[in-house]
Amino acid sequence: MPGQGTCFDETNPEARKKESVYHQVKEFLDKGETLAVATIVSAKGSTPREVGAKMVVTAWGEILGTIGGGCGEADVKREAIEVIRTRKPRTVRIDLLDEISSDSPAVCGGIMNVFIDPWWKERDQEGSVRK
Amino acid sequence: MSSLSEALVQVVEQGAAAVLATVIEVEGNDRLEAGAKCLIRDGQVRAETIGDAGVVEAILRESAVHLQAEKSKLVSLNMPAGGGKLEVFFEVLPAPPKLVVVGAGHIAVPLVKMAKVLDFHVIVTDDRLAYANRERFPDADEVLVGDMAQMLKEMSITPSTYIVLITRGHKYDEPCLREIIHSQAKYIGMIGSRRRIKACFQRFRDEEKIAEEVIDRVYAPIGLDIATETPAEIALSILGEIIKVRRGGKAASLSGHQN
Repeated sequence: MPGQGTCFDETNPEARKKESVYHQVKEFLDKGETLAVATIVSAKGSTPREVGAKMVVTAWGEILGTIGGGCGEADVKREAIEVIRTRKPRTVRIDLLDEISSDSPAVCGGIMNVFIDPWWKERDQEGSVRK
Repeated sequence: MSSLSEALVQVVEQGAAAVLATVIEVEGNDRLEAGAKCLIRDGQVRAETIGDAGVVEAILRESAVHLQAEKSKLVSLNMPAGGGKLEVFFEVLPAPPKLVVVGAGHIAVPLVKMAKVLDFHVIVTDDRLAYANRERFPDADEVLVGDMAQMLKEMSITPSTYIVLITRGHKYDEPCLREIIHSQAKYIGMIGSRRRIKACFQRFRDEEKIAEEVIDRVYAPIGLDIATETPAEIALSILGEIIKVRRGGKAASLSGHQN
């Protein structure tokens, strides 16, 4: 099955523990950056990763984590930069059926909805946290 | 005041189970915006930016189902009395699954190795130091030596705990099973021939007055029907069954359990 190596990740629990998405988010927020967190919220057909998979995009277009390698990730990155700029979340529909990039190892063929959510420090501290 | 990201980091580091609910779409409610969130841990709201008690209450109620199923899901919530229609994504942050291997014999060795590959927190226990030791189980997270039934009695068993009884004989399996049969464990499997298992369950019914539906929880004989021959193959069939239970698959169990 081609593309498994690029589509799946995060197999080591210790690494996951120390470098979970939220560790990364917190680290960037502490530095005062605005981030976009992209999450697959629903999927139909063959998609490279499961519902709940996440990818963090920084204001500089740097990507941490993956929602499936070549499969629509470029579109999500482009939208994520807009989300960071406007600080307004949006949901993006990624149609992998039309993607004719047969040279990409990550050929899939489903549809997924990706929610892209901006995170920044002040917003992160808004929720009345109860102990 | 601590932040939401900090609370999420704590969930991961403490191996807790939590649900992060995010509103991703709002129709007919001006007070609520996409991106509003609610973090639920230990059945309580830990942080929220929703600001509407009714919506928070509905999210809290809904979250329990998804936490139980260990599956993240997008859900439509129709709020009463002008609360609008919401699309809410429930992201489940499950507690890491824990596998308790009772009996450190020849099946336990490949079982522990494979379970580590599958990211379980693995505890192996036996009353014989010659079996339950670090040399035999270098990958295990915990190796415990002592009376097996007693150790199970003292162990924290949660809905993300999976227990495999593979001791050297029914003399040992039975008291262990008695300790855990009423526990919250997501899975209890016991090795043994059909004849011995039948006799064991009969004693549970007669002497312990254990209800049929409680006895029915036990996967015995243990494992999926894949015609195993070697210890490693048996270990694989046991883990296959555990994954089936965890994820809700349909493969045939030797015990005849559906899911």
